[in-house]
Order: sequence, then structure tokens, then C-alpha cells
Amino acid sequence: MSTRTYTWGLLVAFLAGWELICRATGVSELVLPAPSVVLRTLFDGLATGYLLPHIWLTSAEMLLGLATGCLIGFLCGIALGENDFLRRVFYPYIIASQVVPKLALVPLFIVWFGFGMTSTVVITALICFFPLLENTMTGIHHIDPQKRELFRMLGATRLQTLLRLKIPAGLPVILAGVRVAVVLALVGAVVAEFIAGREGLGAMIIASQGMMDSPLMFALLVAITGLGILFYEATLFVEQRLLRRHMKGMDQ
Amino acid sequence: MSIVEIAGATYAYQSGPRSEIVVDRIGWTIGRGEFHCLVGRSGCGKTTLLKVAAGLLQPTEGAVYIQGAKVLEPSTQVGFVFQTPTLLEWETVRDNVLLPISLKRRLRPQDRKNAAELLELVGLAAYGDRYPRELSGGQQSRVAIARALIVEPLILLLDEPFAALDAITREDLQNDLLRLCRLRETTVLFVTHDIAEAIYLADRVAVMEKGRFRHALTVDLAKPRERDVRYSPRFNQLCLEVRRAMDAA
Repeated sequence: MSTRTYTWGLLVAFLAGWELICRATGVSELVLPAPSVVLRTLFDGLATGYLLPHIWLTSAEMLLGLATGCLIGFLCGIALGENDFLRRVFYPYIIASQVVPKLALVPLFIVWFGFGMTSTVVITALICFFPLLENTMTGIHHIDPQKRELFRMLGATRLQTLLRLKIPAGLPVILAGVRVAVVLALVGAVVAEFIAGREGLGAMIIASQGMMDSPLMFALLVAITGLGILFYEATLFVEQRLLRRHMKGMDQ
Repeated sequence: MSIVEIAGATYAYQSGPRSEIVVDRIGWTIGRGEFHCLVGRSGCGKTTLLKVAAGLLQPTEGAVYIQGAKVLEPSTQVGFVFQTPTLLEWETVRDNVLLPISLKRRLRPQDRKNAAELLELVGLAAYGDRYPRELSGGQQSRVAIARALIVEPLILLLDEPFAALDAITREDLQNDLLRLCRLRETTVLFVTHDIAEAIYLADRVAVMEKGRFRHALTVDLAKPRERDVRYSPRFNQLCLEVRRAMDAA
């Protein structure tokens, strides 16, 4: 049997055990709804279209934040990776900005940007910024010194060295940063919605808590997890496409 | 007429208050089409001297002249082959060979033809669309040599390019290098720690130790050289001469 079989088998066993415990003990749905109940709630939510706008909104916030944060992180990573002076001046501030719990900034952002999408996107972008900055900086900094000398020998300009040597050579590290950012982005978006959202999956979790609707809360958790796995797999797919040429001749 | 003239070149690293002299007042000339080897132990300053000659490092004293012009920065007239092949793993073998040109200007059909010809000459005609990691170590070194030759440099500088290869592959590559350089009348300065390699390849050999040339000899073996010359008494005699010079220093 392949490991995949075990993975799925484990899931089935887990769900069956959960279902069994719920039925045997007759525990209240408010405390622990059975998987069958959760799945029905989720299915109804999807079938009636009740959940869809929330899924779209959270996805949109996450993707917007991810794109903005990754882009700015990448550009700053290049600037700091290329310029020692900038790195020495700004790096302590960047560290400081990362040590501040960013979600603690949400109340402030609500004051600045109001409730809703903008605050969530800004928080998500802030969260995605750092892994990209760090990995881009590291990626373009650790280049084989002989390859740098080769580019000097060939009279390459700084921009050519960046575009033809440093970024391609650092791409695997940079994309690993994107992968980390994707996971953090979803967490960031959902948690920001707890505080700043009126709609979206995170806001729904808070609402379901208010309504004491535990099956809905569990259904939302399943939806968020599914979304996370989907985005992660999509990232892996894109990463493999982008690194196809890097991987040529490497043992898989 | 000499193509390369190293005139009293000195190179010193500044480490704290002390400066450490790595290359010490070296004088040397290489004539057109000649093949010179520089032998020495690790850390004797031979790689530094080669980088000074390439313009990658500026001598603290003295100067290097190529065709009478002082070398102030890396020049396109000079091809450099590093200790490792330094190929770009994400570009095809052909694009790697064309790198020096594509950094300068748009590629022309003629460039692609030249690249194909060079790949043919190094025995990799069928590998143009492959990626470097799909090639063996010896093949990668061949691509690195083809890349250095694509701009038809006046001078080729090589820094122990075959050191990481097995003995048989190394001999093949030595023969290929000799053939290519003869074909194009390229002037070569080749750095190595392998005495037999130096004698086999070179017209002239310089022995370097602690930043200075301790000994120089002309290799009077007939050319073109083939495998059997490695087992001739004269070859061994020359190797011994170099070895003694290294021990004496």
C-alpha cells in the first residue's frame, strides 16, 4: 500500500472515531458536533450559496494581501540585498516591525482604514512582507563567488548581474518564502476578520460563536482548511513550473 | 611580440594593520600563441596573480599590459575559466556558451552558428538543448571552455579548470584544450598544481612559491603532443626539474 492510502485511511478512521464518540456519548452539538452534522452544514452552506460570498471575500483579501506583501517584500529584499548601506540602516527597523505582533495592529488599522476589506488586506500584506524580504535578501546574497567573478569578467552591468544571475540563482529560496507567505496569509486574513471583518470566513466564525452554532463553526474551519490546502497546492504547482529548468538533471 | 606583459606586479591583502603580500614583484611576458603554465602549491599566490592578469584585481604595485595597453578592468579580450565550471544551471548549454555575447548585445544568427561550431569542437554538438546538471563534470568543463572561447579572446586564462576531474577525463580535456588553442592561435596562461599537467600542456613553465617565481623553464618536447610523450624520459626529467624547484623554494 502506498503512503497515500495510509494518509486517507487515517482521515477516515479519525472521522469514524469522532462520529462514534459523538453518537455513543450523546454529547451536545454545541460542544462537539458529529462530522456528519458538520459536513451537512458545510454542504448546505455551499449548495444554498450562503457560504460562497464569504469564501470569495476571504480568498480575495488573502490573495490581494499576499500579492501586495510579496511584491513589496521582494522589491525591498532586492534593495537590501543589493545595497549593504541600506541593509545596515534599515534591517533593525524591519526586525522591530516584525517583533510587533501584527494582529495587535488591527484595532489601529480599523481607525485608519475602517472595518472591512482594506484593514484585512493591509494586515495580510504586512504578514507576507517579511518571509519574502528575508528570503529574497538571502537568496540573492548567497551566490557562488566564482559566478559573481564570471559576471564581472564578462563586463556585466549591475542590473544584468541581478536579472541573469542573482534572481534566477536565488529563485528556489525566494519561492520557498512565497510558500511560507501563503500559509501565513490565510491565517492573517482569517484572524484579521475576527476583529475587522463584517463578512468573510473569519467574521463568520465570530458570528457563529455569537449564535452558538457550533456545527457552522466547524463547517467554517473545514472550509478554511480546504482553502488553505488548495492555495498551498496551487503554490507548489506554480513553484514547480517556475523551477522546472532549475530541476533539470537533478535527482527527483 | 609579447601579448601579455606582467611588469613588477605586486598584490597585497590588507588584513588589519598588516598587509600580506600574496604576489611579489612578478615580471613575465607571454608571446602570441604561446601556452604558459604556472605551477605552485595551494596558497602560493598563483590564482591571485591570474586574477591580477585578468583585471579582476588591481595590483598594488606594477601593472599588467595586454598588447601594450594597461589592464584596468576585466576586458573582453580575455577569456577566463574558473576552478569550477560556473555554468548557469537554469540555462541550456547553448545559452551558457552564448552568455558572454548575450550580456553585450542581441544575439545574431551568426552567434548561434559559432556556438554550435564550438560545441561541436568540444564534442558536445548533441548537448546544446540540455541543462548543465544533466552533464558530467568533464562535459561541464568543456562547456566552460567553449563559453570562454565564444568571444574569440586574444588570451585565455585558466585557473586549475581540470582539478576536480578524474585522471582519464583530465587527459582528454588537456588534449582538447591544446587542439582548440592551436586551431585559434590563442595565447594561454594556465594555472595548475599538477606538475605533469603543466609540462604536458606548456611551452614555458613558471614555478611559483610564496608569491614569487622561483624557477622558469622552456618545455622542449615536440608538438603536437600525444599521450606517449607522458612516458618519455625527457618528460620525466622536466617534471623532476619542476619538482626540485618547488622543493628548493
